[in-house]
Amino acid sequence: MSTAETPSVAGPAPVTAEAVGEDAYAWRRVHPITPLLRGWKALVAVLAIFAAQAGDNVRNLAHVLGGRTWLALVGVLVLVTVVTLVYSAFAWRAMRFAVTDEAVHLRQGIVFRQQRQARLDRLQAVDVVQPLLARLVGLSELRLEVAGGHGSAVSLSFLREDEADALRAELLALAAGLRRPSAPQPSAVPGAQTVPTAPGSPLPPSSAQPAVFPMPGPAPVSAPAFAPAPEQQVYELPMPRLLGSILLSGGTVWLVLGVVAITVTIVVSESIDAAFGVLPAVLGAVSWVWSRLNGAATFRAAISPDGIRLRHGLTETRTQTVPPGRVQAVRLHQPLLWRSRDWWRVQINVAGYGTEAKERENEAVLHPVATRQEAMTALWLVLPDLGVADPQAVLDAAFTGRGDDGGFTPSPRAARWVDPIGWRRRGVLVTDRALLVRSGRWWRSVEVVPHERTQSLAVRQGPIQRALGVATFVVHSTPGPVSPRAEHLTEQAAAALMDEQAARARHARQAAGPEQWMRRGTS
Amino acid sequence: MTSSGPVSTDALFQPADIVWTPVSPRLAAARLTVAAIVLVPLLVAGVVWAVLTGAAAVWTAPAAVLAVGVWLGWLVPRQVRAVGYAERADDLLIRRGIMFKTLVVVPYGRMQYVDVNAGPVDRSFGIAAVQLHTAAPNTDASIHGLRPEEAARLRDRLASRGEARLAGL
Repeated sequence: MSTAETPSVAGPAPVTAEAVGEDAYAWRRVHPITPLLRGWKALVAVLAIFAAQAGDNVRNLAHVLGGRTWLALVGVLVLVTVVTLVYSAFAWRAMRFAVTDEAVHLRQGIVFRQQRQARLDRLQAVDVVQPLLARLVGLSELRLEVAGGHGSAVSLSFLREDEADALRAELLALAAGLRRPSAPQPSAVPGAQTVPTAPGSPLPPSSAQPAVFPMPGPAPVSAPAFAPAPEQQVYELPMPRLLGSILLSGGTVWLVLGVVAITVTIVVSESIDAAFGVLPAVLGAVSWVWSRLNGAATFRAAISPDGIRLRHGLTETRTQTVPPGRVQAVRLHQPLLWRSRDWWRVQINVAGYGTEAKERENEAVLHPVATRQEAMTALWLVLPDLGVADPQAVLDAAFTGRGDDGGFTPSPRAARWVDPIGWRRRGVLVTDRALLVRSGRWWRSVEVVPHERTQSLAVRQGPIQRALGVATFVVHSTPGPVSPRAEHLTEQAAAALMDEQAARARHARQAAGPEQWMRRGTS
Repeated sequence: MTSSGPVSTDALFQPADIVWTPVSPRLAAARLTVAAIVLVPLLVAGVVWAVLTGAAAVWTAPAAVLAVGVWLGWLVPRQVRAVGYAERADDLLIRRGIMFKTLVVVPYGRMQYVDVNAGPVDRSFGIAAVQLHTAAPNTDASIHGLRPEEAARLRDRLASRGEARLAGL
């Protein structure tokens, strides 16, 4: 990394408030090293495309140019580097953000300008992401998830680590309904990152400012005024269990099969050419295993007044904060090979998470490999009160039960014609607080939807189901890994659910806490 | 014109205390028009082909197209008659389907936005479609075949009721 022309990361607060803008927001910029980090990525992408496309062409070119090939190549490389860096630097200059009591404002783009305003009371989650390179230089990306579907997250990259943490605490406090002290004095600031300044001079003296990189002047107008909420660790994932879970997964099975197939093919045909047919599948399996390992390594969950905090990642670390009431649905899933260890994977629906399949694998996970006890704890994080007298018995029935164990309403015997293997496992249970859907005989699964998080309901029935007198009950949830549906219930049970669940969801919503979770009981 | 479905499913798809509003029969005409736009040229092409070649076997092609047309002519009006919606105090009910029945309940407070759509064929028949969107993308709450004034009324009513019962996610 060249550090000659860029300010040192360890230097004093490189990111600062800009002049108070035309709309009285305290505009801030992301860290000046951002163009380098981003440009590097773009450069690698360009080089990869170049290498993939131009294999033969380079050889032809080499023939034409003779000895000057390397000179030309280096020239192209330097040109691409310079162009990417200059573009990234301009993009950095164009990007700024501001935090007010109600919203986060983001302006970015050079050619296509974008102004985005995300309301804090609609905040669904705040993530601090540190890709490997950013982590090495002590920077992180702050991502605000709002429930707007694909590409709706507000991404602030990159910020200094402590700044990102302070900003997260500030955003969560504001979203919780707390208010900034009206005149933030440095002495009154509880955050660790107080910058001694002269309050009351929001505009930096322009003479002290370099033209391109505004250097730290007085305190940012929105100085960190909130201490991070205290958190308490609830569970963590031991590395041996994660490795074991990966060994006992479908991906590994495919990987082993693929390697065996390649070996056999090479031995039988006595040439390596035939192996290339299987290679993509093997590479896919390797990439799956790596992404699972990388995403779930060092997984820790903690609880704080700001909600659930998840930390995980090997090369790229991610700290997720999901405020109370933002988890829309939970799914506890047990793959076939995990049965002997009684491990469960706990996935969640959070609006804004998992809009891309790649993210879904690592983002919308509450526990990658939980023991039965930890799975219950994970569920408790989302739903402290299950609304039943004996949660242990009910959850045991949900995890491994069948028929009417634990008070579940099972699928009728007639359902065996449409679901010969799993029909005994199918069942629903309505508690005071949530709907539990149980399914899967070999691949066990339990879906839990708190009543107040129900979006809409549907009941469906095809001709075969009608002949058998069964129907499917569907609960619509926000996009994510959980899509709860209870297949093949009796018509009476489905009709009763349809009738009562709508009323139950309505009452639960009225009783539920406010969106600004710290306002509970004060307003 | 009799109500469809066996008696046993009435409890499920036709709860007792609900008055269903049917959609306009013009929806059937609009859907059949769309089908005709596709099928008639196919039929003509098939007939021309059969006449030109003179082979008896080729007549199966236009015959099949005709059969599809007749089947749609029987099916579509029935399907349209099976569509209904009901506005309750706190939620909107939509039902549809004869073979594959669906009943959807959408609470007003969960509504994120309402769309009113009318394509060229819909407009020429004087109908429009209203679609409710919640935060769940799989909420399939669309009502096709509403008269424009009814669509506008429903849109405003849903919007005002949604506002009164506004909730987060």
